[in-house]
Amino acid sequence: MIKLEHVSKYFGPEKKTAVDDISFEVKEGETLVLLGTSGCGKTTTLRMINRLLEADSGHVYINGKEIQSLPPEILRRSIGYVLQNTGLFPHYTVSENIGLVPSLLQWDKNRIRERTTTLMDKLRLPAATYADTYPQQLSGGQQQRVGLARALAADPPVLLMDEPFGALDPLTRISVRREFKALDEISHRTIILVTHDVEEAFELGTRICLMNEGKIQQLGTAADLLFRPANTFVSSFLDPQRLQLELKSLHIRDLWNWLPAATSPVSKQLTAQSTCWEALEAITTQPVSVVYEQEQKLIDGNGLMAAIAAYKN
Amino acid sequence: MEPTETFFDFIQQQSGKLLEQTLTHTGLTFISVLLAVAIGVPAGILITRRKRLAAPVLGIAGVMQTIPSIALLGFMIPLLGIGPKPAIVALFLYALLPIIRNTFTGINGVDPNVTEAATGMGMSRRQMLLKVQLPLAMPVILAGIRTATVINVGVATLAAYIAAGGLGEFIFGGIALNNTNMMLAGAIPAALLALLFDWLLSLIQHINIRKARKTIVALPVIFLVLSSFYLLPDTYNGKMLAGFTPEFMGRKDGNLGLKSVYGLNIRTLVISDMIMYKAAYEKKLDVISGSSTDGRVKAFDLVVLEDDKHIFPPYYAAPIVRDETLKKYPELEPALNLLSGTINDSIMTDLNYRVDYLKQNPEKVAKDFLVAHQLFKPAGNGSKGSIRIGSKIFGDGYILAAMYKMLIEGHTDLAAVTKTGLGGTKIVFDALVNNQIDLYPEYTGTGLLVILQTPQHITDSIISDSRKVYDYVNSEFEKQYHIKWLKPIGFNNTYALMMRRTAATQLHINSISGFTKYVNQQ
Repeated sequence: MIKLEHVSKYFGPEKKTAVDDISFEVKEGETLVLLGTSGCGKTTTLRMINRLLEADSGHVYINGKEIQSLPPEILRRSIGYVLQNTGLFPHYTVSENIGLVPSLLQWDKNRIRERTTTLMDKLRLPAATYADTYPQQLSGGQQQRVGLARALAADPPVLLMDEPFGALDPLTRISVRREFKALDEISHRTIILVTHDVEEAFELGTRICLMNEGKIQQLGTAADLLFRPANTFVSSFLDPQRLQLELKSLHIRDLWNWLPAATSPVSKQLTAQSTCWEALEAITTQPVSVVYEQEQKLIDGNGLMAAIAAYKN
Repeated sequence: MEPTETFFDFIQQQSGKLLEQTLTHTGLTFISVLLAVAIGVPAGILITRRKRLAAPVLGIAGVMQTIPSIALLGFMIPLLGIGPKPAIVALFLYALLPIIRNTFTGINGVDPNVTEAATGMGMSRRQMLLKVQLPLAMPVILAGIRTATVINVGVATLAAYIAAGGLGEFIFGGIALNNTNMMLAGAIPAALLALLFDWLLSLIQHINIRKARKTIVALPVIFLVLSSFYLLPDTYNGKMLAGFTPEFMGRKDGNLGLKSVYGLNIRTLVISDMIMYKAAYEKKLDVISGSSTDGRVKAFDLVVLEDDKHIFPPYYAAPIVRDETLKKYPELEPALNLLSGTINDSIMTDLNYRVDYLKQNPEKVAKDFLVAHQLFKPAGNGSKGSIRIGSKIFGDGYILAAMYKMLIEGHTDLAAVTKTGLGGTKIVFDALVNNQIDLYPEYTGTGLLVILQTPQHITDSIISDSRKVYDYVNSEFEKQYHIKWLKPIGFNNTYALMMRRTAATQLHINSISGFTKYVNQQ
């Protein structure tokens, strides 16, 4: 769906390298997270995809089409874009903000209103209450949801998100993120999301692209980065939160072979799709049982820890 | 009589004129601001896009702002002549800087997150400008327009100097005539206009940006309507155009007399004395209110129309001296009287012509004259005392002061210093009364009307006889100020209506009555 080939970008008169020969491909419906510290080149990479920046070398394709083949305005209207500080227009109402791209695409008025209302309802901003308010009157979390609705309004197949939850306080961030994940508008889209928040990357990314100094350090699933790091940078980057990340990214079914079989029936049940983190939360009071592939297994504290240790070896 | 009462009396009497001037003033202000918006806003937008141009463009507009307004008007005259054109251009240049600068600042001040979002959503540069940058910069741009408008209401008062009209006519007339009511009748409405426009524009600036979208569409229309006020007052017909000084406009022995005694009703512009003669010569004006001995009458080949109904009082020049000084130095009076009877109108005109037009030194002109009339003697030792000679800032004054200095130093043992350029009548006369100077050349008419403020019935009874006027001022000055009028020099520097010699010959006009008849026939 989105393909980058040997893309590089230099800044300033001394041609400082910001992005150094990056290639990757994002499949349709996939969410790729560009993760890294400030100045690693992740935002620069993102901005080259909707041509807010022009690549100095290399090629970018969307749906097999070179992005240079379209005028930048036309290209951008087909790509949803969410900014960290929302960038909502203070002189437009909420519904005008959301309807911006459709109006640039010259949809007719009724269609714009219908689409705007649908999106506002889905994002828990009832049109009756919020359609004619101005962004300044909303809370930070609400503004962020309007920013998301604006990016989704014209139903673009591709969504670029630049630190979309970065400006929110930690509590709001978690709840907005959870809503975002559950949104049906999101599920079928191809998304590239930039963040410096490891937890966010692991929660939202189908795959994660960890970058440093303009280069890709590793591109893979959460489990790849955790258990099969490509280099010491990758492992040391994840070390501070390793235990939590591991528990959240390991599922019961991944440990199935190492878990003991259930001997006595237990009333509390979990599914094999649950993460170890969820299992741990459940077994703080009593052990639970899981049924998977016609087999029942018992999970208690000791058994779970032993299974994790066995998995990692 | 309460001063406030007379002010309102004045307003009431002159309400027609006041309304006309206010409309003209409003028109001048808004035409120029409208032009400045039409040029300044695009220029401001341009320099946000080509940052390299920002410094030179803002620099040039800034330099315009630093040129003193009266000088800027002066620069315009050779390029655009007199009247509204140079005034509007000068006001336009003044209004540019705040408008360009605020457009530039306003657009640059738009949150970069918002402009990035606009670009990222797929807006073209044009859409971004019209839908995002201009609406968000609008309060700042309006603040610039507001500043420009207020500045221009003030500067537009100066337009009266170059015959463009406006409330400056009353202000400068009031200053020239030492008439406070007239001055206030111009100054107060000008201040009120500035406050009013400032307040109205502040309302527009502070209403909700969203509603402002519609208001801003209406704004150019409002500006256009206000601009058109400039065109309203022209209700006179006829081809003849008069240019009168602000002082002449308000005087009984000036335009008011022309109207009441001669019945002259002519389209009139108010214009500064400095450019009036040249404007007549260049056919921008047909008739002007000159002074009969001005050198420029000769330089520009103008002809004085005969005052056949005697509305202009005699302005015979004579030295006026403090009694104290005459008593202390009895030899002074004969020395000063040597000049009496030697200079008639045409000689004075010629002397002024040499100074004003040929740019000869007044001392040299004075000496040449005295030598030619065998009155010049080399300076004595000047040991007996010192005489201070004053003069007004006109050509006559400089030359006469120089002559008196030479006469005193050549014919007595006194020394003399000249204090020329003491401004108008009020300043130089006050200097004489307060013993800052000992003598200066004054005109009988000025003494009668300006200094003594002689009541109307006395003026009427003596005005047509120059001898009676001289005797009256001499006795009154002696009584009131202990100042003596010595013998008249001979020339009569009176107000005069004058026109181009060629035009006068062609139309067979040689008197004001004849001129009035010609104008009223049209």
